[in-house]
Amino acid sequence: MRLDWSVVWQNAPALAEGTLLTIVLTVVTMAIAVPAGIVIAMMRFSGLRFLAGAAAAYVEFFRNLPLILVVYWAYYVMPVALDVQFTGFTTGLMALCLNVSAYNSETFRAGIGSIRKGQTEAALALGLSRWQAMREIVLPQAARRVLPVLASTWVSLFKDTSLVSVIAVGELAYTAMRIRSQTFRVLEMLTAMAAIYWALGYPQAKLVDWLHRRLGVTE
Amino acid sequence: MSAPLILLYRDVRKRFGDFEALAGVSMEVRRGQVMCLIGPSGSGKSTLLRCTNGLETLDGGEILVDGVRLARDERGLREMRRRMGMVFQNFELFPHKTVLANVALAPRIVLRMDEAAAHERARGLLDKVGLTDKAESYPANLSGGQQQRVAIARALAMEPEVMLFDEPTSALDPETIGEVLTVMKRLAEEGMTMIVVTHEMTFARRVADWVVVFERGLILEQGPPAQIFDAPKVERTREFLSHLGWEG
Amino acid sequence: MDIDLSPLVDSWQYLVDGLGVTLLLSALTVVCSLALGFAIGLARCYGPAWLRWSVVFYIDSMRSIPVLVVLVWTYFAFPILTGVTLPPFWAALVALTAHIAAYVAEIVRAGIGSVRPGQTRAALALGLSRAQTVREIILPQSVVRMLPAFGSILSIAIKDTAIAAVIAVPEYMKQSETVAGQSFRPFEVFTGAAIVYFLILFPITRLVDMVYVRLAHLGKS
Repeated sequence: MRLDWSVVWQNAPALAEGTLLTIVLTVVTMAIAVPAGIVIAMMRFSGLRFLAGAAAAYVEFFRNLPLILVVYWAYYVMPVALDVQFTGFTTGLMALCLNVSAYNSETFRAGIGSIRKGQTEAALALGLSRWQAMREIVLPQAARRVLPVLASTWVSLFKDTSLVSVIAVGELAYTAMRIRSQTFRVLEMLTAMAAIYWALGYPQAKLVDWLHRRLGVTE
Repeated sequence: MSAPLILLYRDVRKRFGDFEALAGVSMEVRRGQVMCLIGPSGSGKSTLLRCTNGLETLDGGEILVDGVRLARDERGLREMRRRMGMVFQNFELFPHKTVLANVALAPRIVLRMDEAAAHERARGLLDKVGLTDKAESYPANLSGGQQQRVAIARALAMEPEVMLFDEPTSALDPETIGEVLTVMKRLAEEGMTMIVVTHEMTFARRVADWVVVFERGLILEQGPPAQIFDAPKVERTREFLSHLGWEG
Repeated sequence: MDIDLSPLVDSWQYLVDGLGVTLLLSALTVVCSLALGFAIGLARCYGPAWLRWSVVFYIDSMRSIPVLVVLVWTYFAFPILTGVTLPPFWAALVALTAHIAAYVAEIVRAGIGSVRPGQTRAALALGLSRAQTVREIILPQSVVRMLPAFGSILSIAIKDTAIAAVIAVPEYMKQSETVAGQSFRPFEVFTGAAIVYFLILFPITRLVDMVYVRLAHLGKS
């Protein structure tokens, strides 16, 4: 078994680009999926049955589908169904956003729901409107509980971006595997791929742990 | 004394599922009156209080505030709630805000007072309840009695016409009950209209103008404290009081 | 847009075979990862320092690396490193087990950690050995709290088996891909796949939610 690790250094620029795309996908998805998650959570709390039902259905739907299937479905079906041609990147982004928004909405729903009813009642008794009570009293307290979970979701998302490689989006996994096919240096490239994910993911996971400790729920 | 009516309850009914919490309660509250609602747990006294400021909706009957029916829409309710202050059994101070911010919150947001004016009003009220030096503390650092006094100040910040107390001392250690009752007594002496759901019989005997005894969603008996505590007209009242160890 | 369900009908046997592989792989993954994860979790809590450190490293590494990467590495790189070639199904089983066992280990750690320390002290004071304490006092209490989280492992396993399609495991996702490619009817085939996965996963997540609610009160010390 002859290993040639130089192939990794030779292709460092390409790998760096792939890594960058992974990070971009993660950041942009979260930027969309966090507000989307709040909106969907609010829909479930609204008294309107149609809105609440639609939101609940959306969440249940995406919680119960493998993300890779959503990626394929988006890629093959949307051009046909909507008669629009999206790039692989956009398609992958959409699939990720749909998926993560659902999980985020559950996070916000649980966070908001964990605030004692009495807090809202005290605010209402003082004459605040429901929205003012939410803004001043409930959401700030919920934020403490929501942040660690959002951080965990972020790390999961970071890993899940690898799935859009199956529709040829040039993030890290796709790039590494492409170089592998071209150079036939399988062990080196795949190990390098794992090592890069590890190097980026490990500190993020530790950060999440720290957040969980720091913002630990004290009743 | 026949001060004007501020609250009128007509045949108020409320059920939770199969449970009938209020089975037709009619009652009058006059301005300046200190009314104590007593009775066993589940007899409906807290429910009536919570219906008064719309935290619970009525299933039957009506509540009139100064002759006007209690609003059913959010906007109208908000208007009416401004005129009522409520103090909760477990204080419900906002833990993420300082004591001062807690008291100044409603004037700032609801009355749109500017921060300086709201803070001034808040400090004045904290003085009144004896907690001036706790203004910058967070609720978690206060004792139960102190938190409840802040809660009273917070409710007073809106300059309500009537104060609703929902078992204000039930969650307190015996040592701190006194400080809260003292504040409430002073409030009563200043002429505030108060409806107090309580188990503190001594307070009711000494401070209340009118005592209403509840049982199973209905008023068992009502009258001046002397009547209720010393010479109740209804046998069940006497039983209830002796149950609590009240030496008539 | 015309809908033609014939590819689904014609290839239904092929797809059902794929479904069988999905279910088999998921079941085996759950069993193996629960067993391995439990052992790792216990090592994490009660092992000697060197073992604990290694285990923590393993768990945190699995948290950092995507499932896809573990799958691909196990199937393509592992044979080069060790000379042992694993067929796709077994490579997937090894990879998924290794990945999910890390999560199971964390669940075990959290469950054991949620038991009041006073329980251990009381048991030791009564004269029980450490091993007996863990076996008789700690584990029974903690397992109850772990159950809801274990339930969600099944859901995760089924979703992760779909990723095994990239290493050509003939599970449902892969079979769907093939049929879609051959019939040029991706909409019908992938929508069908979505429905199938949903019908399998929805009852499971529902059940787990219910168990969470039921057992939530036990999670409080």
